[in-house]
This record gives sequence, structure tokens and C-alpha cells, in this order.
Amino acid sequence: MAKPIIDDGVIEACQRGDSDAFRLLFETYKDRVYSIALCFFDGNEAIAKDITQDVFVKLLTAMSQFQNRSEFSTWLYRLVTNTCLDRKRAFGRLISFGNSPELEITDQRKSVEEKYIQRELETSVRKVIAGMKPKLRITVLLKYFEDLSYDEIAAVLGCSKGTVASRLNRAHQILARKLSNLNEALASGQRDV
Amino acid sequence: MFRKHVIRHLSAYCHGELSINERLLVETHLRECRRCRAEYDEIRFGARLASALSLSDAPESTWNDVLKLRHAARRQRWRREAVFAGSAVAVVIAAILTWNSFSKGPSWEVTGLRGMPRLRAGEVLQTDSSSTAQVKVANIGQITVDPNTRIRLLVTRPDQHRLALDRGKLEATTWAPPRLFIVETPSAAAVDLGCKYTLEVEEDGGSLLHVTLGLVALERAGRETIVPAGAFCRTRPGAGPGTPFFEDSSDQFQSALRALDSGTGVSERARQLETILREARVRDALSLWHLLPRVDPEARGLIYDRLARFLPPPADVTRDGIIALDPAMLDGWRKVVSQLWQ
Repeated sequence: MAKPIIDDGVIEACQRGDSDAFRLLFETYKDRVYSIALCFFDGNEAIAKDITQDVFVKLLTAMSQFQNRSEFSTWLYRLVTNTCLDRKRAFGRLISFGNSPELEITDQRKSVEEKYIQRELETSVRKVIAGMKPKLRITVLLKYFEDLSYDEIAAVLGCSKGTVASRLNRAHQILARKLSNLNEALASGQRDV
Repeated sequence: MFRKHVIRHLSAYCHGELSINERLLVETHLRECRRCRAEYDEIRFGARLASALSLSDAPESTWNDVLKLRHAARRQRWRREAVFAGSAVAVVIAAILTWNSFSKGPSWEVTGLRGMPRLRAGEVLQTDSSSTAQVKVANIGQITVDPNTRIRLLVTRPDQHRLALDRGKLEATTWAPPRLFIVETPSAAAVDLGCKYTLEVEEDGGSLLHVTLGLVALERAGRETIVPAGAFCRTRPGAGPGTPFFEDSSDQFQSALRALDSGTGVSERARQLETILREARVRDALSLWHLLPRVDPEARGLIYDRLARFLPPPADVTRDGIIALDPAMLDGWRKVVSQLWQ
């Protein structure tokens, strides 16, 4: 996934209250914020939408105070991370997870069968990620949805690069062990992952 | 560098996060070590699986909902202001005069406290034994003020929001960029790094910080203590931040830490340190690390030994260097050892 590009001019325009600039910012990041929340809460669309709204309302209200002392994306993803963790803590165990919706994969180049296989694979991966500890989960999501570097993830989560590496190691091992039944299929090149 | 197994570097290797030298060392090791090769295959498979994730489209209505929420918040604020203005013109005039005298930026909305709809720079908010208050911190967060608490708004402007907690307890939740929101207590300043926390000032001016989400920095006279989620830190007047500790550390550990922080005789300090080293779990490396510069060289050596058993320091970090508080070695080891409490 290519990294979004928002230059300082857009940030400054947002800070001046330019609604077009904020709309551009929203359009650039909305799917990323929504995807992290959706996967974090195991496919719960209502919570994911609520978190996406919450994040952008907070951005809208606090944007004027952003001073480029840190990267904008670092601040945004820290906001997303804290909102997800905070919401999870607030809900505790009340949320009934496991109602993952059918996921829409919109790559027109793939055949129907390939799309079906890809969708099944992605659903399995999302389920395993949803069962990971929150700190592992958010680290994986920042890496694979946002393609952040280890340094960037460390800045978002307030931890060291080594911690990011060890969390990703652990997450990869969990994925590999829980989905070991797919290993042969992937190794034989049937699926282009 | 990688004379031992390279398992912990394998994800970074898959993601191209290693330097050329590190990559060569990993590749050399993988050729020789069957165990690491097996781990590598597993991690690479896990990474391929994770790569299957694709973005989902946010619902079309999200943008309109964001605008509605924003407008609703503005309307609600406007209504409250209008009602307030209509019912008490004289108070508004007085407030304007006060504003002219004290204003250094926007005011903070207050709910739950009769007679004080907002807090301005220079003003005091005080709760009694039966009242609490909710305060909206400009547009970057909110605080809940517990009973018997006194706060003063010192500064509120776009680049800084600073209040003083003279006594009592508050809970702060912020979504501001780091270091924008600061709470001063008689013994240290709590600097928000994107978080949620409670802060309580005790009778003697000491305070207790409990971070529940994110990170908070406690600062005093150039000394900074970073407190992560799940940890507490006490501060004492004249001494600044104490040693942070996790809430689930043992009672003996916490008690010995408190005794050590409060200053005791040499023999007593040695006894407390012995308890701390004995009771320390891996995660308590947080406390051990922060103790290093606060104890004498002999004790520092013992702490080094304990930490090194949890996680060996990098090759360029020596026991003597840590005892001498060599800044480069401390920095190099901190990057590694901080993994133990994150």
C-alpha cells in the first residue's frame, strides 16, 4: 500500500480553517483510519466508523495547535492508536466480536476464483490478528495498512525500534502457527500474497 | 554482532529494516544455523500472510457525520453561551472585564460546578467535598476534577496549555500533539505525551501519577522520568520525580522503592536495594533503569548485573561505563533495555 502524501501546505491550510484542505486530508487518510479500526475490532463496522469519526473530529478541533514538532502522520496514528485502545478498554469484554462482514476486495484484475481465495485468506488473517494482544495487533496494523517503517511505528507507539521488531516477530509467528494449514498452498505459489 | 541466534532480527530482515552489515551477518548466520532458518521460514510465512491485508473503504457517510458532529459541538457551545449571556448580562460584562485583564487565549468550559461555566487564565477552580467538575481543555482534551481539589489555569494558548494542581486529584485525557498540555504540581510538572492519566497531590505537596494510556513525562529541574501506561510514579517536594514502578509489582518491591526514594541511611539503603533486586521481575526493569543514576556506584554495579541478566547489554556497553554513567553507553543500553517494559 503506497504511503499517502500530504504536504506542509495542506497542513497549514487546515490550520487556517480551509475546509477544502481538511476534506483532502480526510479523503487521504479515511480508509486507512477506518481499516485499522475495523481490523482492530474484528470487523465491527459500527465501532470502526465511530472511531473514524472520533479521530477526525479530534483532528479538526486540535489541528490549529499542531506545530510540526512531530510528523503529522505520527500524531494522526497515535490518535488512532489511543482511540482504539481507549475504546477497547472502555468496552471491556462487553463487545461481541466475531461478526466479521464479508470483505470487499476490489482488484478488478483478479479472476473470480482468485478473488474468492484472496478474500478467504484475508478473512482468516484478520481473525487471527483480531485475537492477538492489543499491542501486537496495533503494531501489525500500522505496519501492513500504513506501511510505516519500524522507526515510525516506534514513534507512534512511544516504544523502541527493538520493541517494534520483537512485536512483529511474535505476530508473524502467531499468524504462521495458526494458519499453518495455508503454508503449502502459499509455498506452491497458488496464491499471490 | 550476530554470533548468537538471529531470531529477533528476522522480521526486520524480511522488511528490509537492517543495515547492509546487519543483513550480511543475518544471511551468513542463516546459512549456518538450521534453527534460525526454520524460524526464518515461519516468520517469512507470517509476513506473507499479513501482506494479504487490504484497505477497506470507509462508509460514504463518514465525512458528513464528521461535519455534523463538529457542527453539533459548535451549536451546543453557542447555545450554552447564549443562555448564559441572556440570563446574566452583568456577569458577562464582568467576565469580559476579567477576560481583558487575564486573557492569554481561549477559555476552558466547565460543567458540573455551579457558578463557574468556564475557566480562564489566572482563575482558580475549587471543588468541595461533594462536588466534581468536568473541564474541557481548550480543544485538545478534558479533565475530571475530583472532590476537594484546587486547580489554577496558568496559561492557555495555541502552543501551550498549562495548569497548576495545588491539591486533590484529577484525571486527564488528551488528544493533543505531545508536550502541549502540562500540569504543574508543587513537586514536578506532568508533561503530556499523548495519553490518559490520573494525578493526585497529597497533603505534603508530593504527588502520585498513574498513567493508564500512552506516556507521561515528569519533569523537575532538568530531570525527566518517562512513565508508561500501567505505571505509577511519586514525586516529592524538593526532590522531584521518584522512581516509576508498575502497578502489579510486588508490595515488598514497591515498599522498598519508596523507602529508597525517600532517603535513608547507608545500611538501610543497602537492605532496600537487596529487596528490590530480589523482587524485580523482568518488567520491573523500568524501575531498575531509573534507579541507576540515583544510587551510589557500588549499588549501580549491582543493578547493572541484575538488568544484564534480564537482557545482556550491547557489545559496546560495559559495566564500568554504566557505573560511570557514560551518556553514550546509557543511551545505547536504554534503547535495548526499554524493550523489557514496553
